[in-house]
Amino acid sequence: MSYGKKDEDADTGLVKIDRTQVFQEARLFNTSPIQPRRCRILLTKIALLLYTGEKFPTTEATTLFFGISKLFQNKDASLRQMVHLVIKELASSAEDIIMVTSTIMKDTGGSTDSIYRPNAIRALCRIIDATTVQSIERVMKTAIVDKNPSVSSSALVSSYHLLPIARDVVRRWQSETQEAAASTKSSGGFSLGFSSSSGNLPVNNSTMAQYHAIGLLYQMRMHDRMALVKMVQQFGVAGAMKNPAAIVMLVRLAAQLAEEDHQLRKPMMQLLDGWLRHKSEMVNFEAAKSICDMRDVSDAEVSQAVHVLQLFLSSPRAVTKFTALRILHNFASFKPHVVNVCNPDIELLISNSNRSIATFAITTLLKTGNEASVDRLMKQISGFMSEITDEFKITIVEAIRTLCLKFPSKQAGMLQFLSGILRDEGGYEFKRAVVESMFDLIKFVPDSKEEALAHLCEFIEDCEFTKLAVRILHLLGVEGPKTSQPTKYIRYIYNRVVLENAIVRAAAVTALAKFGVGQKDPEVKRSVDVLLTRCLDDVDDEVRDRAALNLRLMHEEDELATRFVKNDDMFALSAFEQQLVMYVTSDDRSAFDTAFDISKIPVVTREQADAEDRTKKLTASTPSLKPPKLGPSKAAPSAAEAAASASAAAQQYAQELMQIPEIKPFGHVLKSSPLVELTEAETEYVVAVVKHIFKEHIVLQYEVKNTLPATVLENVSVLATPSDDEELEDAFVIPAEKLGTDVPGKIYVAFRKVNGEGSLPVSTFSNILKFTSKEIDPTTNEPEDVGYDDEYEVSDFDLSGSDYVIPIFASNFAHVWEQVGAQGDEAEETLQLSGMKSIPEATEQLAKALSLQPLEGTDVPVNQTTHTLKLLGKTVSGGRVVANVRMAFSSKTGVTTKITVRSEEEGVAALVVGSVA
Amino acid sequence: MAGLFKKVYDWLLRTFWATEMDVTMIGLQNAGKTSLLRVLSGGEFAIDSIPTVGFNMKRVQRGHVTLKCWDLGGQPRFRPMWERYCRNVNAIVFIVDIADLNLLPVAREELHALMNSPTLEGIPLLVLGNKSDLPDKLSMDELIDAMELKNISHREVSCYGISAKEETNLEAVLQWLMKFANR
Repeated sequence: MSYGKKDEDADTGLVKIDRTQVFQEARLFNTSPIQPRRCRILLTKIALLLYTGEKFPTTEATTLFFGISKLFQNKDASLRQMVHLVIKELASSAEDIIMVTSTIMKDTGGSTDSIYRPNAIRALCRIIDATTVQSIERVMKTAIVDKNPSVSSSALVSSYHLLPIARDVVRRWQSETQEAAASTKSSGGFSLGFSSSSGNLPVNNSTMAQYHAIGLLYQMRMHDRMALVKMVQQFGVAGAMKNPAAIVMLVRLAAQLAEEDHQLRKPMMQLLDGWLRHKSEMVNFEAAKSICDMRDVSDAEVSQAVHVLQLFLSSPRAVTKFTALRILHNFASFKPHVVNVCNPDIELLISNSNRSIATFAITTLLKTGNEASVDRLMKQISGFMSEITDEFKITIVEAIRTLCLKFPSKQAGMLQFLSGILRDEGGYEFKRAVVESMFDLIKFVPDSKEEALAHLCEFIEDCEFTKLAVRILHLLGVEGPKTSQPTKYIRYIYNRVVLENAIVRAAAVTALAKFGVGQKDPEVKRSVDVLLTRCLDDVDDEVRDRAALNLRLMHEEDELATRFVKNDDMFALSAFEQQLVMYVTSDDRSAFDTAFDISKIPVVTREQADAEDRTKKLTASTPSLKPPKLGPSKAAPSAAEAAASASAAAQQYAQELMQIPEIKPFGHVLKSSPLVELTEAETEYVVAVVKHIFKEHIVLQYEVKNTLPATVLENVSVLATPSDDEELEDAFVIPAEKLGTDVPGKIYVAFRKVNGEGSLPVSTFSNILKFTSKEIDPTTNEPEDVGYDDEYEVSDFDLSGSDYVIPIFASNFAHVWEQVGAQGDEAEETLQLSGMKSIPEATEQLAKALSLQPLEGTDVPVNQTTHTLKLLGKTVSGGRVVANVRMAFSSKTGVTTKITVRSEEEGVAALVVGSVA
Repeated sequence: MAGLFKKVYDWLLRTFWATEMDVTMIGLQNAGKTSLLRVLSGGEFAIDSIPTVGFNMKRVQRGHVTLKCWDLGGQPRFRPMWERYCRNVNAIVFIVDIADLNLLPVAREELHALMNSPTLEGIPLLVLGNKSDLPDKLSMDELIDAMELKNISHREVSCYGISAKEETNLEAVLQWLMKFANR
C-alpha cells in the first residue's frame, strides 16, 4: 500500500460512532471512482458496530450490502479483505446476499496468492444456501488441501459450518480433509523473499489447520465407530500430529471411544498412557483428565496419570498448578485413596498466595484425608478463612457439609468449625451455606442435634439476616419439642419476640406454639401460654393473629390441632411444581374455569422427602462413579438428575394411567417400577414393561416398538400369564390398535389381586405378543388389506417383593431395626454374587434391586473388602421394611452377601429377600 | 515511429484524461452475458460456462476509457435485483438470445418492466441480439418488433445483432458504449 501509516481517522474517535450516521456515510460506496482508504475506514466502523452488538434492520442492512457489493470493482486487496469481512457479518441480516456468490467465488480462486483468499472462503460459506453448495465443491476441495495453512484452515472451518446445511456434499470431501490433517509440512518457506508486497499472503507456520481438519473429520465420521477408531490410531502415533490442540481433540475422542465400547478400552488406554508423556502440557492434562474420568477406572490404570499430575503440582507456573490440582480435586471425590500419595505436595499449596489454588488444595485434602487428618486440616483452615473471599468460603463449607454426611463420627469437630465461622464476618450467601450445612447435620446426623441447635440459637441472638432467622426459628420449632430440654429453646425464641422485626416475631410465635400444642408437661405448657398471651399485645397484625390462633389451638385437646401444627406430611414438591406449571401455562381457556385442585398432589411423609433430599445432596457434590461424558450433547444424566427424572417419570405414568377410563376406578398408583427391557434393543419388536401397583390391582404397561420397515402391526395385545394364577386374576387387556414403523405404542394388561388389598402376590410372567402384521404397499404407502396373524415371544419377568417397597429415610437405623424386629418377622439369605466386581458396585446394585434407602452413609463403602449396608423402606400399604446387608469381597469369588430383612407385616421380609435371590 | 507516438499519446490520454464508465449487462439466463463480457475483455470464448450466481464484475480497457461492466445473473431469482444495479449507470445493455424464440415474450416483459421504473429514466439502452451464428434466428427488424422497442421513449435505444462466439459486430458495440463515456 502506498498510503502513509499515520492514523487519519483518530479524530473520528470510537465513541462517536453511531448507526444512523454510519448508514448516511455509506453513500460513499456509490461514488466513482472509489476511494479505497476512506471506504475501508467506513467498513471498519460498520464492522465495529456489528461486533459490538449493534444490529442493522433488514432494509438498512440490505442497502448497505448493495453499496458494499459495488466495491468489488476496486482491486485494492486490503479493501477487498474488509469487504469480505463485513459481508460475512451482514449475511444474517441482509436480504439477497446471494448476489455476491459468483464474485466471491472468483476471489477464492486457487491461482493467486492474494491475501484475501481465506476471508473470501469464510464469507462464501456464510452466504451460500443449501442448493448452491454443490457449485462450490471444487473450490472448497482445492482450498482444503492448499499448501497455505491459512487458506486450508479457513476452508476446513467453513466446511464445518456448512455441515448442518449440506451434510451429504461436505461428506464427500473426506479424502481432502484427511490429507489436510496428515500434512505436517510448514508452508511458505520458499516465498519468504517475496512476501513484502502487501497483496500476498503472509507466511504462516501455524499447524492449526491440523486441529481444524481433525475436528471436521470427526464430524463427518461421527456415526461410524470403526472409522473413528482408525482415525485415532492413525493420527495418534507419535509425530503424526504437530499441533497440540489437534492431539487434545484425539485424546477426547479416544476417551469417548473407550467409554462407549468396552472392547476398545484397552488399546485406547494405551494411547492415553502414551499421551501422558507428550511434550505439550496441554496434552498431558487432557490425557490425565480423561483417564481420571474413565468409568470404573482401576487404581493401577490411574496411578500413572496421578503421578504426572503430582509432578505438575510443583511447577512454578500458577496456571499449571491450578489445572493439576483441579483435576485431582474432582478425582478425589470418588477415589480419595489414589490421590493420597499427592498429599505432601498438596499440603505445601495450602499456603499458596493464589487463593484459588489454596482453596482447591484444602478441599482436596478434606476429601483425601483420613479421619485423623480432618481435625488438623480444620485447624489450618480456621486460620485461613479470614483471608479469602466469600465465594471460596462457600466452596469450603460445601466440602465440609459433604464430609459431615460421609463421616458422621467426625461431626463434633466440624460442628465446632461451622459454629466458629458462623461468628465471622460474612455476606448472606456465605452465612446461608453455613446454616444449611448445620441443618443437614441436624437432619442426618442425630448425635449432633442438640449441640447444633444450641449453636443456631446463639447465632440468631445476633443475626442480621431476617431470612436466616426465620428459617432457624422454624427448625427450632420442629426439632426443639423433641429434645430432652425444650425449655432451653423457649427462652431463645422468646428473646426474638422481644427484640426483632415483625417478620421474625411472627416466625417466633409459630415456633413457640409448636412447643405448646400437644405438650404433655403442664409446666411447659403454662409458660408457653403466658408468652403467647403477651404476644397478643404486639403492634403487628400478623403476629397477633398467629398468637391468637395458636393459643386457641393449644387449648383444644384434640388430634386435629396436633396434626395441624406438627404436620409431618408434605406435598411431593416436584409433583406439586409440575402440576402448577401445567395449570398456569395451559393454553386451554377452560382449564381456568375450575380452581387448581390441590388434593390431586401426592402427599409424602417427611421421612420420604428426607430420603430423596439426602441422595440428591450426596450425589450433587460428589460425582458418581460414572462421570458425565464429554460433549454437551451426549452428557449422561447425573445421579441427581436421574433421581429427578425418575420421579418425573412416575408422575407422568400416573397421569397417563388416570386418563384411561378402565384404570381410573383403581385409584392412585401406589408404585411404578422402573422400565424393564424384555428384548434386546435390535430385535424386530422391542418390548419393555413397567409394573404399576394399585390397591387391589396390578397393571402391566407394555411399551412396544415395531422396528420392521414397511409393516404395520394392528390389534397388538399381550398374553401375559402369571406362573401361579391363584393370587392374580385377569381383569382386562387394552390393546394397541395400530403400530407403524418405529412408532412406540402402549398395551395395558390388568390383574386383580384375589386376596384383596393387603396381599402382595409374587409371580413370574411369561409374555406372548399377539398381533396382525400387514405390509405397506410401496406404491400407495397404504397398508395392504389382508394381513396375517403372528405371535412373538419375549422374555419372562418377575413381579417380586421389591416392587411393593418404597425407600424412606430415618436418622437412626439401630432404633428402627430393634423396633421392627420386636414385632415383625425376619428372613435371612446368603448369596454369592460372582458377577459383581467390587463392593461399591454391589452396594449400588443391591440398594436398587431391593428398592430400599441406604442409611447412615452406608451407601459409600469405606473399606474395599468388607462392608455393612443398612437399608430402610416401607411397603405400599405402609409397613416398614429394614434390611441389614453384610458383604465381603474376594477377587476369587466376587462378593458374598448375607441379607437379613425384617418387616412389620408378616411375610414381607421373605418376599423382599426373594427379589434378589 | 508513428506507432510509438500513438502509444505515447494513448498513455497520456489514459493518465490524464482517463474516464471510467459503468455499464450493466442484463438479460434472461443463458442469453450469453457472461460469455460476451469475457470476449469483450479479451478472453477466449468458452462454451461451458456455469450460470452466474449473483453478479460478475469485469473491467474492459479501451483507449483512455475504462468500462466497468456489471454482468448480472439472469435467473428469475436475480431479476428483482437488476434495477438496483442499473441506477446511475452510463448505459444498460440488454442481451437477448435470438435463437430461442420461446423466451422472447418473457424477455420483452422483463425489459419493459425495467424501463418503466422511474429511477432509470434517460439511461441509454442497447439491445443486443446474441447468437447470430446459429440457424433459425430472428433478423434485427423482427427482434425490434418482437421486443416492441419502438414503444420505449425518453432515451436513446439501439439494437445490434452480434455473436459472442464468432466475435462479430463487437467493435460496433464498444463504439456505441464509448459515445456515453463523457456524459
